[in-house]
Amino acid sequence: MKLICCTGFIFISAVFLIRCAEKKIEYNLPQPMSDQTRAVYMERLDKGKTLYKLNCSTCHGIFTKGKDSIPNFTKDQINNYRAAVLMAKDQRNHAVAAKMSPQQLDYIILFLSLRKHEN
Amino acid sequence: MTLLMRGHFYFLPLPVPAAAVPGNSGTLILVKKMKALFVILFTISAVICFSFSKKFNKSYYNFYTNSLRDFKQQQADLENSIARTSLSSSADLQDLHDQIEKSRIRLKNIDFWLRYFEPNAYRKINGPLPVEWENEVFEKFEAPYKREGAGLSLAEISLDVKPVIKDSLLALIRRSQEAIKTYEADSITVQLNSYSHFFLANRLFLLNLAAIYTTGFECPDTTRVIPELRSMLLGTKEIYAHFNESFPETPLSPEYMHAYEKTVDFVSSEPKGFSSFDTYRFIRDFVNPLFALNQQFINKYQVTSISFNDYTLNNDIQSIFSKGLYTPQNTKGIYSLVEDEKTLQEIRHIGKLLFYDPILSGNNMRSCASCHKPTEYFTDTVARTALQFDQQNHLPRNTPTLINSLYNHLLMLDGKHISLQNQGRDVITSSNEMNSKEKELIDKVMSCKEYKDAFKSFLKLTPEEKNITLDHIVSAITFYDGSFSRFYSPFDDAMNNKTTVTDEVRKGFNLFMTRAKCGTCHFVPNFNGVKPPYIGSEFEVLGTPEDTSYKELSVDNGRYMVNKAPETMHAFRTGSIRNAKYTKPYMHNGVFKTLEEVIEFYDAGGGQGKKMLVDNQTLSGDSLKLSAADKKDLMSFIYSLNEEIIFEAPPAALPLSSNKLLNNRRVGGQY
Repeated sequence: MKLICCTGFIFISAVFLIRCAEKKIEYNLPQPMSDQTRAVYMERLDKGKTLYKLNCSTCHGIFTKGKDSIPNFTKDQINNYRAAVLMAKDQRNHAVAAKMSPQQLDYIILFLSLRKHEN
Repeated sequence: MTLLMRGHFYFLPLPVPAAAVPGNSGTLILVKKMKALFVILFTISAVICFSFSKKFNKSYYNFYTNSLRDFKQQQADLENSIARTSLSSSADLQDLHDQIEKSRIRLKNIDFWLRYFEPNAYRKINGPLPVEWENEVFEKFEAPYKREGAGLSLAEISLDVKPVIKDSLLALIRRSQEAIKTYEADSITVQLNSYSHFFLANRLFLLNLAAIYTTGFECPDTTRVIPELRSMLLGTKEIYAHFNESFPETPLSPEYMHAYEKTVDFVSSEPKGFSSFDTYRFIRDFVNPLFALNQQFINKYQVTSISFNDYTLNNDIQSIFSKGLYTPQNTKGIYSLVEDEKTLQEIRHIGKLLFYDPILSGNNMRSCASCHKPTEYFTDTVARTALQFDQQNHLPRNTPTLINSLYNHLLMLDGKHISLQNQGRDVITSSNEMNSKEKELIDKVMSCKEYKDAFKSFLKLTPEEKNITLDHIVSAITFYDGSFSRFYSPFDDAMNNKTTVTDEVRKGFNLFMTRAKCGTCHFVPNFNGVKPPYIGSEFEVLGTPEDTSYKELSVDNGRYMVNKAPETMHAFRTGSIRNAKYTKPYMHNGVFKTLEEVIEFYDAGGGQGKKMLVDNQTLSGDSLKLSAADKKDLMSFIYSLNEEIIFEAPPAALPLSSNKLLNNRRVGGQY
């Protein structure tokens, strides 16, 4: 009985993890948009996603709401964060943001702003 | 502690007893016990909070509101005087002059706050120009803002332009009255309840003492500069006293107050004449030491900012004449997150090879070093303007030195680029300059084993990028050429009290900051167009001629090409005068071969002084009336800004390519 339970649990978790890993992030892109512009947006969003996962998700990824383990930051939170970084007044441990180039920060903020929230 | 000081209440989370597990017979007793505990804790915290909040001293807050009220009253009186005057006699005009002066003195007493809290409103109270276009560093991705000026300086100037128009005079003062209301908003006054803003406003005040308050910036009548300075120092002393009374836990130390007292004494003992003021001593012996102390307070009291005034300023440096005063352009670009010193050295090495490598150009004959010659301060001291790619025509503008270019927030003389990397990309791909195509260029670079190995390992440093891009190449180059801007000049060393300079240099600097009016555009400490709080680059219209016959203006539209507005026509970004001795020829079009010619041009009053028609010239068209000795002193000062740069030998050879045809390329290119 125990064995069956364990195996079942492992199997379900594995399926769940794979599903999560494959989960495609969707975006709210401004409309209408030409294919060419869309390609540029997608490239930037992709860069933002990578930078986010590497530099932000260690802290902002666990116990969060989104199924893709990215928190559903509200528009206000994102704007406040952007303002805080711009004014260099952020006292929390956001040292990594201060090191980034403005371009890199912009990729991340674009990514978080346009990403469709998961509930 | 500070929260209590402000009279705010806050509660720490109460610890939950570990034994509080429900579901047995003990629960009821436990709940009763908890209630009692809660009541006791609540009483204690209420008593503590109450006893602290009672002590808050409103002296500082009240001084602000009273001073603001007095200034408003003064403005209302001024408005009434203008409305009543007939403007018919010179006595009327003199009366208005006096009234404006009275208002200015009141303003100077609270300048400390106004300029920090809302710089844009300040521009309407005492703006230097009717219209300014600004592009601040944190708004880099947006279009420039139009900022309209009004208030006392402009009113004073308009009194001297005949005929004096009453309505426009009234309008200037009414806009100022409107602007002053900004400073009564809760968002501003709430800051007065804590100490953070004070040390940041004080920092801006000290920086302005060094950079603009002695130069006649925003003070058209130069005989008033020193009296106004003195009055401002005394007014600020009162602000200090009220602050120390209200914030005894985070005061300005006795050491600071003593040094400040001496500063006031120095200004009082100096002759009242603007042109004989010893700005050199004022900054070196008084302002800069005060700045260092204030920086220590900022760190010691853990001051935090909510103002964009502090955006670029660094808390960790101890001198205004430190190259770390404000955050410059990012030289690392795409490698921003790399911190390992060894890796950075590898990037720099590749950047150096690329800087000298003509492989970056379409015909493999031109490199960065073709125009920015590392042996000539990264500029070209021979050509007035560099050759175009076609080897026949010339480019419209003189090659600027790369040294200290990173201390500009906008790059190129028209401010076209917001980052060093964008500038690099543009030059490499521009058909007039290096004429490369991105893909072709990357293929050529990657055909060289040394580059290929390096960029393959660098690609791992930028996980967001899938392929090696032009940004990887350009960022390596900017990291290399940006590293020559960290050196200091004898003048910096003197200001930092490490060495001394000659009397000629001191005289030259004092002239530069006062009578010669150079300091109103070339701001301390970089002597470029970036003024405190160092968040924007300024552009000026000088009326630079096409050639030295002074028959016509240079055809280059300058800033207008980027931002089409009447005020930006023929405006160019102010360059630094550091290393100017070695960066000839001068001006955007290289029209002047010597510094003497440049000084002569300014002395004459720029383009207007040379009888050319220049709209919106930001330099006075009157002669500065500099003597031959004055000019010599100015030159001595400019020479004291030659930085002791450690240059490097060019690479002995360039990386070999698998394409044999590419292996004929010469280090640094052919033209």
